[in-house]
Amino acid sequence: MIHFDNVSKRYPGGYEALSGVNLHLDAGELAFLTGHSGAGKSTLLKLLMLLERPTSGALLINGKNVSRLSNFRIPSYRRQLGVVFQDHQLLMDRTVFDNVALPLQVAGFSRKETGRRVRAALDSVGLLSKEKQSPLALSGGEQQRVGIARAVVHKPRILLADEPTGNLDPELSAEIMNLFQRFQDVGVTVLIATHDIDLIHRLNHRIVRLDQGSVAEGGGAYAPAF
Amino acid sequence: MPQPSNQTARRGAVGAKVGLRAKMGAVIAHHRHTLEDSLIRLLRDPFQTLMTTVVVAIALSLPATLLLVVDNVRQFENNFDSFSQITVYVNNTASQQQVAVIQEKIQSFSEVNSLVYVDPKQALNEFTEASGFGSALEYLDDNPLPPVFIIEPAIDVLSLPQKAQKLIAKMVNIDLVDDAQIDMLWLQRLKSLTELGKKVVLALGGALGLGVLVIIGNSIRLAIHSRREEIIVVKLVGGTDAYVRRPFLYFGMLQGLFGALVAGIMLTIGFWWLGGSVENISQLYGSHFMLRGPGFQGFFALLGTGFLLGLAGAWLAVGKHLNHIKPR
Repeated sequence: MIHFDNVSKRYPGGYEALSGVNLHLDAGELAFLTGHSGAGKSTLLKLLMLLERPTSGALLINGKNVSRLSNFRIPSYRRQLGVVFQDHQLLMDRTVFDNVALPLQVAGFSRKETGRRVRAALDSVGLLSKEKQSPLALSGGEQQRVGIARAVVHKPRILLADEPTGNLDPELSAEIMNLFQRFQDVGVTVLIATHDIDLIHRLNHRIVRLDQGSVAEGGGAYAPAF
Repeated sequence: MPQPSNQTARRGAVGAKVGLRAKMGAVIAHHRHTLEDSLIRLLRDPFQTLMTTVVVAIALSLPATLLLVVDNVRQFENNFDSFSQITVYVNNTASQQQVAVIQEKIQSFSEVNSLVYVDPKQALNEFTEASGFGSALEYLDDNPLPPVFIIEPAIDVLSLPQKAQKLIAKMVNIDLVDDAQIDMLWLQRLKSLTELGKKVVLALGGALGLGVLVIIGNSIRLAIHSRREEIIVVKLVGGTDAYVRRPFLYFGMLQGLFGALVAGIMLTIGFWWLGGSVENISQLYGSHFMLRGPGFQGFFALLGTGFLLGLAGAWLAVGKHLNHIKPR
């Protein structure tokens, strides 16, 4: 589902954030992405969201090289992704419902279908009762769950998370991770960048460790299905 | 390695796709929603909205006023097209016979189409009736008005100033003719002035239209800036450029429309208010001239102009500023 083939990213100014990354994730797999600050976790996620383009190498999503995708096709590509941000990127001037509905609105879902899916997504993160509230009225953990509901409301095949538990206490963090595992259970490919080493070692999932822009362990061999 | 469930993976793919008809419906719904939302945003910041509206209204009403003035002057000119004539003043001392001779002579000119003789007595009577100076005029010993011929020249004479001048010279040369005047001269001057006026309106309109673009562009720039976060999130969840652009285009369109609406109302009221006085004056001069306001057509033309300028201003601003906002 996700395949990095010798991907490098050099920023203008010469800083090489990623060098020769090889990483493969099967469909329906859940992996954690770890490493020190500056190891390249954020850059790797940005490449996946097409916020940045690789300087060299190929990035295949579902067998298709997206690193040379035209700007025009980026929106429809991003609709296949669900992304959870550390600062959750919620819009505080609208309700929880409207925040979660945003990916459906931009994809052109009808109002009726939107309502149904938003409620299903909010139900899956246990926040159905808060749909009419402002995100400001919610706790940090609840806000992050709204962010997750927004990331999965359009049933993406790939779910990316950038430090989703960064600001949460251990108990809430474990709860959030549980949520991600539940999405994996229904076939979503999940990649979570995190610092929370203690937590992820307790969970039985693959761990990809980045070091200075390269995969130090857990890259996984690519086995083309000939 | 967990085994991916093909079934759910496929369902996920289907989940992201929407049928064309449903999509069209949603796009229309989004247009409507965006229009409502833009209106609410404009009303939520009444001071900024009012400022922009007033400035746009002034910028639009200035050239529109001038255009209406030019239009009215042309209407005035058209009223006087029947006055394309030459007046020949005969000396007061001329006898009836001498006047008859002069009349014959004028009629013999090929450049003269027809002619009307205005008897001094008849003229005085008319003047007495029309002016209301009756009692004052009774004090006059003699009739001060000269015998007058009003000549309608052939059409080609009036269109060529040199020919007209030649004809006038010919008539002045007749014995006992004091003067001959072409009544078109001032009209021609007026016409060339209105031509100039039209050009001034065009230049001013262009400059102020550009001003409207800048004003609306600036207000869009502010709107984009204040909605920066929203733009980023929409782009992150796969909103197309058209989707992101839409609310700002509506915003600009509405502002242009509001400005034009205010300008149109100002003009309509202003011309209605002036119209009464102008009618009084023109009645005093025995004219049927009436001041024409913008009217329905002008009003809607103004609205259309405001709408288009707003849209164009927004388009330019969005094109310039939206690209700078990229998710990081």
